[in-house]
Amino acid sequence: MSGGPYSYSYIFKYIIIGDMGVGKSCLLHQFTEKKFMADCPHTIGVEFGTRIIEVSGQKIKLQIWDTAGQERFRAVTRSYYRGAAGALMVYDITRRSTYNHLSSWLTDTRNLTNPSTVIFLIGNKCDLDGQRDVTYEEAKQFAEENGLMFVEASAKTGERVEEAFLETAKKIFQSIQDGRLDLNAAESGVQHKPSQTGRTTLSNDQQPNKDTCSC
Amino acid sequence: MGSVDLLSLVQSGFTGETVLACLEVSKMQGWVRTTRYLAIISKSGSSAFFVLTSTRVPPISPADVSVEGIVPIDSNFKFELDTETQHEDGHDLYLSVSSNKSKLLFEMMPSSKSNAFVGELYKAVDNVVRKSGPLEYNWLNRYPPVIRHDCSDNGLKEEVQDSVVDSPDSLSLPRESIAKGSTPIAARESVIRYMMSKKEDQYMYKQSFRIFVGTWNVNGQSPTADLTEWLSCDVDPPDIYAIGFQELDLSTEAFLFNDTPRENEWYKAVVSGLHNGAKYTRVKLVRLVGMMLVVFVQEKLRQYVTGVACDTVGTGIMGKMGNKGGVGVRLDFHSTSICFVNAHLAAHVEEYERRNQDYRDIYSRMCFSSHHPPKTIKDHDHIYWLGDLNYRITEIDPKYVKDCVERDSFQKVLEYDQLIKQCRAQTVFVGFKEGSITFKPTYKYDTGTDNWDSSEKNRAPAWCDRILWKGESIEQIEYRSHPFLKISDHKPVSSLFDAKVRIIDAVKYRKIHEEVMKKLDKLENEFLPQVTVETTEITFDTVQFLVPQSKNLIIANTGQVPVKFEFIKKLDDPYYCKDWLNIEPYLGDVIPGEKCEVKVEVRVDKKSAYKLNSGQDQLYDILVLHLEGGKDIFITVSGNYERSCFGTSLETLASIKEPIREISLGSIIDKEKKKDSFSSGEGTYAVPKEVWFLVDHLYRHGTKAKHLFVQPGLHSEIYDIRDWLDNGSQESLPGSVYSVAEALLLLFESCPEPVIPYEMHTACLNCASNFMQCKQIIQGLTYHRKNVFIYLCSFLRELLSHSDDNGLDTKTLAALFGGIFMRDKPVPRDVSKPRSSQQQLDRKKSIFIYHFLVNDYPDLLPPLVSS
Ligand SMILES: Nc1nc2c(ncn2[C@@H]2O[C@H](COP(=O)(O)OP(=O)(O)OP(=O)(O)O)[C@@H](O)[C@H]2O)c(=O)[nH]1
Ligand SMILES: [Mg+2]
Repeated sequence: MSGGPYSYSYIFKYIIIGDMGVGKSCLLHQFTEKKFMADCPHTIGVEFGTRIIEVSGQKIKLQIWDTAGQERFRAVTRSYYRGAAGALMVYDITRRSTYNHLSSWLTDTRNLTNPSTVIFLIGNKCDLDGQRDVTYEEAKQFAEENGLMFVEASAKTGERVEEAFLETAKKIFQSIQDGRLDLNAAESGVQHKPSQTGRTTLSNDQQPNKDTCSC
Repeated sequence: MGSVDLLSLVQSGFTGETVLACLEVSKMQGWVRTTRYLAIISKSGSSAFFVLTSTRVPPISPADVSVEGIVPIDSNFKFELDTETQHEDGHDLYLSVSSNKSKLLFEMMPSSKSNAFVGELYKAVDNVVRKSGPLEYNWLNRYPPVIRHDCSDNGLKEEVQDSVVDSPDSLSLPRESIAKGSTPIAARESVIRYMMSKKEDQYMYKQSFRIFVGTWNVNGQSPTADLTEWLSCDVDPPDIYAIGFQELDLSTEAFLFNDTPRENEWYKAVVSGLHNGAKYTRVKLVRLVGMMLVVFVQEKLRQYVTGVACDTVGTGIMGKMGNKGGVGVRLDFHSTSICFVNAHLAAHVEEYERRNQDYRDIYSRMCFSSHHPPKTIKDHDHIYWLGDLNYRITEIDPKYVKDCVERDSFQKVLEYDQLIKQCRAQTVFVGFKEGSITFKPTYKYDTGTDNWDSSEKNRAPAWCDRILWKGESIEQIEYRSHPFLKISDHKPVSSLFDAKVRIIDAVKYRKIHEEVMKKLDKLENEFLPQVTVETTEITFDTVQFLVPQSKNLIIANTGQVPVKFEFIKKLDDPYYCKDWLNIEPYLGDVIPGEKCEVKVEVRVDKKSAYKLNSGQDQLYDILVLHLEGGKDIFITVSGNYERSCFGTSLETLASIKEPIREISLGSIIDKEKKKDSFSSGEGTYAVPKEVWFLVDHLYRHGTKAKHLFVQPGLHSEIYDIRDWLDNGSQESLPGSVYSVAEALLLLFESCPEPVIPYEMHTACLNCASNFMQCKQIIQGLTYHRKNVFIYLCSFLRELLSHSDDNGLDTKTLAALFGGIFMRDKPVPRDVSKPRSSQQQLDRKKSIFIYHFLVNDYPDLLPPLVSS
């Protein structure tokens, strides 16, 4: 059995931010467990989730930090932005206030992350179209004006949830390939594990020597 | 524990055997790894791979060690090293050991010890290959009953037990030991690999393919005959061809320079002889002098052939020249590794020992090093061995041989076949199979005829040209010679095999891989540190100056793994909690099912009171409870601070006529902001009324009290005094004079700034020996501060006038009040100043004050106490 296809070669750190109740934890849960949590308690702290995905044939481990959205924790959750390669900024399409607060979330993100951090805007709860309070068009425009990627998604149905997480990873991966993202920078939010191919035999000088054989 | 110690310790437990090597490793079992000791143990020429457990890690006596499993190092034994998986903490090395269907995976630290162990393992395996004669493993029978490997060949009883190799589906988790933290969780990648290989049956299926293997010693002849008769004699076209020749060219040129035109001639002849029922493509051609092997596969199957590599081994003179030896081609067909070896072993009738040796040389030396990782012959699932092996018929009358074979009665003659005899004796081709021979000997004929060689009348014909195989799911369909081809003194031989090859069902593979990943994700979550705290909000009702209050936060480990928790700092904060908070313990370990009580204590003291009084801070903090390797939980601590004159600036206190609690918080904050504007003294008391109340009380009741200011008061009385001052009362001041004296000191201590402000301290200390200059400094103080200073000093002089009663002396009071009036700036938690310089400072402070306790200073304005 070759071990190659199973190991991952990158770790990307993501943060999920946005007002309380917009569905950040549900999005994370949907992404990692493919399930919807109907009554999810408020996040009091920072939850942690991981999943391994594949982008351009590369295995990438996403390390996702789901932050508390309550205003009173705002100052504390700022500690967690540092070193994020991706930021998923979430609002609730049925609550205008959560959309209005985006600019302040965006300011925090820009101030506390680095320029190559990919920011992805998610308008969540798009399954509740009847209660819509924010139009797709205005959010799309907001995203364009601020250079953000954007989808409307639903943590309930799972619609476009994968897309948001995966597109973010693709963009980060592109940045790495373009050289825009410096892997060596301490706060790039990406860890690279140079992939090792091939099994090797031990030689006496303890250097894995590819040409050694037991004959 | 050093390897030498371990080795000798293990050795002393195996009295009858020799322990060649010993190593501590981790055994991978599903999701976890546990400590094991591996030993290579030998006796009577054979050796075995022992897996040992120990009741103590590391073992300190042979009695600690017991045998968990044994794998005989025989021809079925295989091992592989894998350094592919890399971890944050460096390279781990995986050793996988297999024997028949059993698999074991161990993880070891790369080191000279593991190197040495692997070296011994190589040697032991090599020994099996090189050994002539069967190996004897009966000595292993004394270790019942955990052996599970199929050792029937070796006369060992076969038992199945799960202690060594766990069943494919079990993710048997020693939860308890995980919970106790004694079993580290194995690296995810290696677990996935392990689990996938355990589930191979579920996504691999087998499909049959026809493999045609042919061999012909052509005695240096050109291909003047049509080979279809040999290569295309079957109805259906084979899927793979492996065709070997020997003595392709007998010229010196070929021998010395390994160059021959015959290669191409014969290659062309072969190509035109291939079955015309299918299109073939060449996979590989390899030649060493006269030995050539060419492998073809049907064009439509070429895409499933990967990892093609070849090698040659000369066993001629000096083990080098290529007149004898072998050539090999290896490839992966779907997921089965296949190796074809075409050999030409030593000639001469009696030389079967040399032939055996040539076989062992080829078997051990052939190495496909362009393949990653390098593979040797034994590393393959299917091995086909063909060639002119040169074994003869001996110890029987040649004439009788000829008679028998003429009548097609081969069985009797085959009893005298050297190869069959040597195989039975397990001196050669151990583990290989050969089909029963139903064709006439293939050597030696008069060229161009079917007649036995006429030059040497007395030599028996022989089955020099043979085809053997090794591996599971291979079935021989045909084994035959092709006597119609007469151009050589040998007849070609061929065999048709039905070989079942393992194919990965991509869809099933994905599905199972996904399942494994899901399971691991779930396990990974399951093994994330999990705790519950019964509340994330700790609320204190009323918090008063100096009165400690505490609540317990219970951290319960509700997860599967031990938890390390720690309260950590927030971004840019100097400390994990505010200075009015104390957390005990602020870090710790909790094992699953257990709880840890953390005491959260609020205590507003002289350091933190001012900030709370003045509204710069609130009794509100968010603590970050961090679980190592897991989530963070925010714990909010809050309470109501009852404002007090303690922790209020002298200016603000002087400007308040009412007890402080009758004033709104807002106006105190306001006053604190504007406190500098009260420095003129307008509309304020000359000294804060609280100072006056306390001093006046002491003046009236305490001047004769023994050791006033030296003897401490009582906490409870100090609280009462605080309440009296803060709320106002008609009653007289409660508590003893000692408590009152301490309350007075505390009042100054909790002011945001000492009576002599910080920025003047250096000047004070510099002129401490000069009273004139000291007076000037006091003259330069702001209104309230100067008043307080002189008022206090006057009171202290009054006290000193009663020193006969109260036992006080000037030096003591000067030192005490030097520290009060010129209190040092608070230092952050955990920082301590060097003591010597502090002593010097303190001495100078007390000299400064001393002047004012022994001299008159009518030139300084007397304190004005308005009321
Ligand atoms: N209909 C619908 N409800 C959703 C969706 N996503 C989340 N919810 C609900 O919205 C509520 C809040 O979701 P959470 O995921 O807890 O929100 P949050 O952003 O994590 O909130 P905080 O942890 O307080 O910051 C829950 O009751 C969810 O069931 C969605 O896509 N559709
Ligand atoms: Mg949440």
